[in-house]
Amino acid sequence: MLVWSRFLILGLALAASAEPSIENLSVTVNGGQVLVAFQLVNGLDAETRERIESGLPTSFIYELELMRDRKHWWDRGLEATVLEVVAMYNAVTREYLVNTKQGGRLIESRTVRDEVELERAMTVFESFPAFALEGDQDHSRFLVRMRVGLGPGALLGFIPYQRSTPWRESNKVRLRRPEP
Amino acid sequence: MDLRELFAQHRKDGRVVAAALILVLAFLTLIYYLIQRGRDLPSVLVTNKVLLFVLVYADALLILVILFVLARNLLRLWLERRQRALGARFKTKLVATYVGLSLVPVLLLFFYASELLQGSIDRWFSSSLRSVLAQSSAVAQSLQQEIGDRNYREALRVARQLSSIRFEEPESRAAISPRLAQWRDESGVAFLGVYLETEFLNAVVDPQSGLNDLPEVGRSFLLEAAEKGRANRVLLPAGSRGRLILAAAAGAAPAGTRRPLVVAGTLLDPVTSGLSEELIQSYQTYRQLEVQKRDFAASYWLMFVLVTLLILLASSWAGLFLARRLMLPIQALAEGTRRVASGDLDQRIEVATDDEMATVVDSFNSMTQELRRNREEIERSHRELVAANRTLAEERALVGAILENLAAGVIALDRDGTVLSTNAAALDLLAQKAEDLIGKSLAEAWGGSERARLEGLIAAAQDSPREAAEVSLVLGGERRTFEVKVSDLRDGAGRGAGKIVVLEDLSDLIKAQKLAAWTEAARRLAHEIKNPLTPIRLAAERLRVKHREGDPGVGELLEESVAIIVREVGKMQALVDEFSRYARMPGPQLAATAIDGLVSEVVALYRDVKPGVAIHTDLAPEIGEIWVDPEQLRRVLINLLDNALEATEPPGEVAVRAERRGERLILEVADAGSGIAAEDREKLFLPFFSRKKRGTGMGLAIVHRIVSDHNGAIRVSENLPQGAIFTIELPVR
Repeated sequence: MLVWSRFLILGLALAASAEPSIENLSVTVNGGQVLVAFQLVNGLDAETRERIESGLPTSFIYELELMRDRKHWWDRGLEATVLEVVAMYNAVTREYLVNTKQGGRLIESRTVRDEVELERAMTVFESFPAFALEGDQDHSRFLVRMRVGLGPGALLGFIPYQRSTPWRESNKVRLRRPEP
Repeated sequence: MDLRELFAQHRKDGRVVAAALILVLAFLTLIYYLIQRGRDLPSVLVTNKVLLFVLVYADALLILVILFVLARNLLRLWLERRQRALGARFKTKLVATYVGLSLVPVLLLFFYASELLQGSIDRWFSSSLRSVLAQSSAVAQSLQQEIGDRNYREALRVARQLSSIRFEEPESRAAISPRLAQWRDESGVAFLGVYLETEFLNAVVDPQSGLNDLPEVGRSFLLEAAEKGRANRVLLPAGSRGRLILAAAAGAAPAGTRRPLVVAGTLLDPVTSGLSEELIQSYQTYRQLEVQKRDFAASYWLMFVLVTLLILLASSWAGLFLARRLMLPIQALAEGTRRVASGDLDQRIEVATDDEMATVVDSFNSMTQELRRNREEIERSHRELVAANRTLAEERALVGAILENLAAGVIALDRDGTVLSTNAAALDLLAQKAEDLIGKSLAEAWGGSERARLEGLIAAAQDSPREAAEVSLVLGGERRTFEVKVSDLRDGAGRGAGKIVVLEDLSDLIKAQKLAAWTEAARRLAHEIKNPLTPIRLAAERLRVKHREGDPGVGELLEESVAIIVREVGKMQALVDEFSRYARMPGPQLAATAIDGLVSEVVALYRDVKPGVAIHTDLAPEIGEIWVDPEQLRRVLINLLDNALEATEPPGEVAVRAERRGERLILEVADAGSGIAAEDREKLFLPFFSRKKRGTGMGLAIVHRIVSDHNGAIRVSENLPQGAIFTIELPVR
């Protein structure tokens, strides 16, 4: 019984660990820029890798929302942005083309040659300038919440739906007005 | 909702359903076209998630529509069945049968098509095909890999030879230029270039290789080589066809200086590179399809579902529509029948069809019309009957009032002789109560009493439509004389329904008549007595005168006067004797008497008495014997024959007829005389009434007395063309 329980716990842990999730989400402010750092863990599962290797364009859609923190109440949404990372494999040159768009506008395009670089290019963002703040918001606390759209899945094998991670919230930061 | 509106809506439904069916048909045609075109469509489109979404939501929408239509109709059917609506059960069976019949083949077809599709997809993605494509792709990539490795070896060999050169010095860079062409010729590559990390130093190309210009190898490529010591790239060089396979190798460099990089490239000819790329791309395409196999199958499966649902929707809708269309006239008929049964005969069903149901509905309308006419006729007849009954009741009340106020007694008898009704006068005359008479037979009501004589009289009139007689009864210690008239009681069809007996009390009338008769008799007696007294008084006075005068002829006169007196006294004596005999006439001594013999015997006495006057007898053979006093009846006949012979002048005939009518004897004596004046008929049977110069006037009085004593009746009537008939009716018992 004890053995089975351990197996069950281990299975649940493995299942939980295999689920894509947003990790290391943090927010920093530099001037009027809200810089977001995060990492998508377990985003490139076997199915996604197979899709990329087949040459099909495969994308992750990161939805980010800048929120104003309100105690004992729901946070207020201020801004939202969508970051789309599209990877496409060229089997002839054996290169991965990774395009990054924000709000539908291409902001970066790079070519990587191995899967490690590919995963990093698609899932790891460090100091990504997600939002630009305006006005005096020095006394408010802000946070960023986000989730990732992992592409379409199929319920029962034929009902399409959009796979996504749960929403994740960042730490709360207080903006300071730049010194004159 | 009115039935007419229902049918109008029904016609609208028909148009809607026809339009819906046309739309479904067009949609199915479009899907069929898309499936056919789907073979030529790129797999990206077939496996497009948008298409999947569209199909899924179209399927879901159709499922919802079908569920709504079915649920709505099933709910309606359930409600109709619960409310026991007419035709609900039949409609339910019809819908279930139709939907079931369409559902089973459609579902079978769907499952068969799905299995067929799954099998086909499995065959498309068979392992053998995948293996062939994978190996082909591997061969093509191995070719590139091998060329790349060879390029790398050549680049590495050149890089080692460049290790002694200090590239930071410009004169040293120039020294490599003449050696570079030699190394390229030795290695056999199409391109050989030297870089100081990302800085270009020198390069040579083989013009015969088809590479017309120096290729742009790319900064990232050089950085990667500088970092990792090796890098590979495949380029599509400008101005050339085919692919340039590059390999970079980093050479050694003193610490603090940049590493030299040697890049060697081989240009694959367009054919080889094209074939190689095609093999790789084919495998990639296969992998893409394999990755999207699930979406691919789902797309077709959803199309099958869509088609199946469309067919199911169309069939179930058509089934419901047909059931409703079929049930509408039936329900209308049932509703009409129910309304007709509840009395609404103005019901009329309008049907806009020309099938057999129209014939049924027409028959129904004709039937209701006929029923309405019949009801109107019945109502009219009822009104007339009520009016007739009212009139009849009024007439009956009037008749009842008349009967109740009538002095004569009226008794109604049925065919069996049971008393149906009577009026107060009859009860009063008969000295009976209603309960003793009504509902009882005459034998029960009158048996063993003086009234039984009435029963005999009525029984005697059973076969006669109309009889009349006088009956004298002692009721309540008082003798009363009734004139009894018995006549047939007939119904509206003229059939005999019984008898009506009318009793008229003649007692007072008879008393008055007797008083008058006796007054007349006294007057006549006085007159008759007075007639002889005058000659007697004259003879006596003339004798006294002659005696006073001393007439010598007084003796002769005396003789003559005495003779007159004696003669007149004799007349008076005869008169008194006759009257005395009338007064002392005894009651009849009844005995069974053969009437034919009695009549023949009396007629024989008068035969040839008066020459020229013949006596003719007509005696019915069935008379037989009746109960009479033979002597008194003989005297009656003698008196009547005597009068008839005297009245009939030769040549003439006197007829004597006798017959039996039921329980009565009818005896007639007819003469051919001058007849009897109407004013004399009332006095004819009174004593001392005579139209003859001779005679006492007592003959017919005696006849009447004898007949009355026999409970009979005598009447005189005119004998056409000449003479009179005396008719005597006597009871046979």
